[in-house]
Amino acid sequence: MIVVFPIATGFFIFFLPHRGNKVTRGYTIYICVLELLLTTYAFCYHFELDDPLIQLAEDYKWINFFGFYWRLGIDGLSLGPILLTGFITTLATLAAWPVTRNSRLFYFLMLAMYSGQIGSFASRDLLLFFIMWELELIPVYLLLSAWGGKKRLYSATKFILYTAGGSVFLLIGVLGIGLYGSNEPTLNLEILANRSYPVALEILFYIGFLIAFAVKSPIIPLHTWLPDTHGEAHYSTCMLLAGILLKMGAYGLVRINMELLPHAHSLFSPWLIIVGTMQIIYAALTSPGQRNLKKRIAYSSVSHMGFIIIGIGSITDTGLSGAILQIISHGFISAALFFLAGTSYDRIRHGYLDEMGGLAIPIPKIFTLFSILSMASLALPGMSGFVAELIVFFGIITSQKYFLIAKILITFVMAIGMILTPIYSLSMLRQMFYGYKLFNGVNSYFFDSGPRELFVLISILLPVLGIGIYPDFVLSLSVDKVEAILSNFFIENFHE
Amino acid sequence: MEHTYQYSWIIPFVPLPVPMLIGVGLLLFPTATKNLRRIWAFPSIFLLSLVMIFSVDLSIQQINMSSIYQYIWSWTINNDFSFEFGHFIDPLTSIMSILITTVGILVLFYSDNYMSHDQGYLRFFAYMSFFNTSMLGLVTSSNLIQIYIFWELVGMCSYLLIGFWFTRPSAASACQKAFVTNRVGDFGLLLGILGLYWTTGSFEFRDLFEIFNNLIYNKEVNFLFVTLCAFLLFGGAVAKSAQFPLHVWLPDAMEGPTPISALIHAATMVAAGIFLVARLLPLFIAIPYIMNLISFIGIITVLLGATLALAQKDIKKSLAYSTMSQLGYMMLALGMGSYRAALFHLITHAYSKALLFLGSGSIIHSMEALVGYAPYKSQNMALMGGLRKHVPITKTAFLLGTLSLCGIPPLACFWSKDEILNDSWLYSPIFAIIASFTAGLTAFYMFRIYLLTFEGHLNVRFQNYSGKKGNSFYSISLWGKEEPKSIKKSFPLVALLKRNNNERERTSFFSKKTYRMDTHVTKMPFLTIFPFGPTKTFFYPHESGNTMLFSMLILVLFPLFVGAIGIPFNQEGNNLDILSKLLTPSINLLHQNSNHFFDWYEFLPNATFSVSITFFGIFIAAFLYKPFYSSFQNWNGLNLFTKRVNKSQRVLGDKIINLLYDWSYNRAYIDAFYALSLTQWIRGLAELTHLFDRRVIDGITNGVGITSFFVGEGLKYVGGSRISFYLLVYLFYVLIFFFILNSLFKLFFFSLV
Repeated sequence: MIVVFPIATGFFIFFLPHRGNKVTRGYTIYICVLELLLTTYAFCYHFELDDPLIQLAEDYKWINFFGFYWRLGIDGLSLGPILLTGFITTLATLAAWPVTRNSRLFYFLMLAMYSGQIGSFASRDLLLFFIMWELELIPVYLLLSAWGGKKRLYSATKFILYTAGGSVFLLIGVLGIGLYGSNEPTLNLEILANRSYPVALEILFYIGFLIAFAVKSPIIPLHTWLPDTHGEAHYSTCMLLAGILLKMGAYGLVRINMELLPHAHSLFSPWLIIVGTMQIIYAALTSPGQRNLKKRIAYSSVSHMGFIIIGIGSITDTGLSGAILQIISHGFISAALFFLAGTSYDRIRHGYLDEMGGLAIPIPKIFTLFSILSMASLALPGMSGFVAELIVFFGIITSQKYFLIAKILITFVMAIGMILTPIYSLSMLRQMFYGYKLFNGVNSYFFDSGPRELFVLISILLPVLGIGIYPDFVLSLSVDKVEAILSNFFIENFHE
Repeated sequence: MEHTYQYSWIIPFVPLPVPMLIGVGLLLFPTATKNLRRIWAFPSIFLLSLVMIFSVDLSIQQINMSSIYQYIWSWTINNDFSFEFGHFIDPLTSIMSILITTVGILVLFYSDNYMSHDQGYLRFFAYMSFFNTSMLGLVTSSNLIQIYIFWELVGMCSYLLIGFWFTRPSAASACQKAFVTNRVGDFGLLLGILGLYWTTGSFEFRDLFEIFNNLIYNKEVNFLFVTLCAFLLFGGAVAKSAQFPLHVWLPDAMEGPTPISALIHAATMVAAGIFLVARLLPLFIAIPYIMNLISFIGIITVLLGATLALAQKDIKKSLAYSTMSQLGYMMLALGMGSYRAALFHLITHAYSKALLFLGSGSIIHSMEALVGYAPYKSQNMALMGGLRKHVPITKTAFLLGTLSLCGIPPLACFWSKDEILNDSWLYSPIFAIIASFTAGLTAFYMFRIYLLTFEGHLNVRFQNYSGKKGNSFYSISLWGKEEPKSIKKSFPLVALLKRNNNERERTSFFSKKTYRMDTHVTKMPFLTIFPFGPTKTFFYPHESGNTMLFSMLILVLFPLFVGAIGIPFNQEGNNLDILSKLLTPSINLLHQNSNHFFDWYEFLPNATFSVSITFFGIFIAAFLYKPFYSSFQNWNGLNLFTKRVNKSQRVLGDKIINLLYDWSYNRAYIDAFYALSLTQWIRGLAELTHLFDRRVIDGITNGVGITSFFVGEGLKYVGGSRISFYLLVYLFYVLIFFFILNSLFKLFFFSLV
């Protein structure tokens, strides 16, 4: 349905006439917008928010002997990320306007990635999930190694090795779960969700999945591919990476680790929370030491992913809703920040912060939007980041699972992250824009951001503000699903 | 009546359209919006006046009925948690909103002229209106989450406005410092809110107080934990109100435009901390330790602020330290439980300090043309002096503000400060002695500012005339390397250029005559509404524009008369003052038993005492700073003093005074300490983690990669191309694999069994 559309149409790019990149560009954007509209239309008219079950399901038998089904479906949990994917990918395509080198392949890869991402968010089959998961790795690798910066091959290799290493564990986990217990493999998530495993096996599976998702999310200490990749990639790739790809890890954690393996999750959740808090502090401390602008933003997104992990680990309705909200809000904010970093890089051709300075006068609009979005990233109230983090805080506070002292400590350390965030993001702003500097020679001529860039930024800014002011927009999408997931935990506690 | 309350939720949102429109306009249609410049100022002033009328109406109703009104909407609905938005109108809210709107209108009016040459005129108005919105939102909010939201928004506005002139590196670091310091406070505030929510399960003020007091009363709650929460909440107020450990941002915040300093950093935002403590006082009162802590922090800040204000060169920075000291008084009063005195001082101080800041803005504006635009020149009191003759209206206003802040009887601050001093005698004699001593210090430093600025002769001239360059201050090359020369012939040309102001100035000094600045008159865009007329002759340094003077003159009225709301007229036997009427239902710790009635006989000796201390301070200031124009190279009176003492061989006194001077001039070494300890520490830690991240965590990854590469290469060479070797290795690995698999299966089965 929706999943195949982008990649199928993507193939047509190669048959388009060689008439410069204008045609391909227009074509790709047209496809993206069409896809976004289609998904929105489908959700508006065929999706009922109150139902926690799978909707819009598609079910075909694909490979007969293996029992492998082409099974797609959408519930409250995946609705948000899918819309986010459509939105961010469309904007990233728009952001990739200046790419001229081999633009057909570039846009084809964008569309392929689009398919892979939507596919993995919407798949209802474990093996299909894995295939989609792998499908979007290849475009990212190619995008990185062909359109990156100076050290692109190093970071592309690092990326592919890291994520492929993670995928091995994912595959082991998938096959292990699928083959367990019965003669013929079952990979349907709905059936799997109601199954229970022996404890040791469940823990083993959990660790396997956790490693796979931890690479993707990323969770420390498996995060080092992220800054390198972000530092080198073209900014539209960065938008996709930060906006969507990282969220797939978190989504997988919720979808598989929480839903399928509730018992192991409740065993592991304290560790998740500890790792999450450490990650917030650790990444927030590493960030000021970065000289590269994009790496600094990359570490900030590592730090923000810590909130998602904590929210997932808290095993409360509130915490999980907060995590889902953070997935979406951070998708918007980090995509916008990378876009801004990329556009300002296009203008000054310096990637290092200490070479910048005094940019506020030549490019006031970028300055304004950069300030607003850094504020959003440091969780200023009225923006989406604040609501998400606040809800995660409440999730921790109201969690029944932990002792008072542990809660106080965790909250305390999380809140220290709240002090560190403005230190790095504001000093980034200060180093880039404040102050005064004479630009010499050729570089002294700047354009401020044009209507295309302004459009991209404002269309990201509006949902950020919208969620910040009225978070029920997003919360209401996933409320029922969240409750359904968490009821598993309570039933289990009840049984014990 | 009721419907007025119902619509009062609109208060914070009335000024909101202006920043939104300006923001959208500047982003999308920059040129068109910039052409409309002035037009944007009017709606913001107009909307704020609407709010003012509304809040005056509300507070009149409050006086008559003294009811508390609350209205709530839900913000997020969920099964587990729900946040609510609402508004909460009580006397405190109505007082604060009147304060914000009145000062806000005058400051907007003032800044129309002050900022008229600035490129960021529109940006300035957008920020200001947004600040007003969030500040009004802060005072009308009905629960702690809402307070936190607006608290942060206010902090962000302050950040933007301090960094308004972003090309200055000092402003850039000042705004970051302010934001981060405030964030430290917000950290406490958020944790406190979360902790209280955990204990009571509510954010609403009234529910919160009720549940909390019940819990305390029934001893159902861990006392230590609650104290910790209250302490953290208080931490938020400490940062926002620039109390002792977190005060460092306030003096640096003076990098912003002066109207901002008047509105945000003197009258409203810094009072938000006081407001928060006042709002949560029912909660704090239940915990005596916290009350003691509040008054302790208050008294430290009072003393520290006053001593630090003693030797500042920058006029705005000394005013900032004075603000800090006065905020300390309010904190002290709150800690003592005299709610009324604290609020009274909040109001009187806000008006007086706003007046002082507007006056200093006017001075700076007139000095800027003279000495240049860098803040260390135009705000430097060492370069001022003798402005009395040149800017008479500003001088009158500034003098009134000074007198009011010092606590000279008929003016506003006298009544409130006297009340605080009185209460402090009841609370603890040591605190009272320190507080009274600081009242003397206040008078001293305020008059130091006044005398340095307005009395004597204009120091800029003397400096050039005397040609002193060896002195530590004058080594700032204000004048370049050029020698004084006859410039009569080049005069008409250079008069057009601003950077040659000094030469103009010199001319006027040498020829001892004033001349008309025609070029200047045409450059100044006037609002010629007032009877001064556009053809006014400017003497040098000139008085500021009429709009600025007008708003200053309006603001003069407040310190003159605002004291009246707190003065009890006891003739008829019952106290009639408006403030007590507003605040009667609230708390009064110290006056519980005896003197709810106002006693003139008790009042008089106390008043005489405080006034005499004040006069003593003024006298010392006059003694030290009056004669300095006779020997102008000793512009700093303390230096002069030390010199004199040196002659009379009093080495000890000399040392003490030097010590005090150094202490004060170096900001009590606290900034340096923070810079050394915290900033360096965080930087070092960041470097360390970065190194760790790159070397260790990334190193492991790269190491694995490189090792596998080398192993592969090595195998290639070792194996050569003999097929037997490959087979051997293959078999070997298969064996190992089976072995591992076997043991794993065994383990697995054992665990299953």
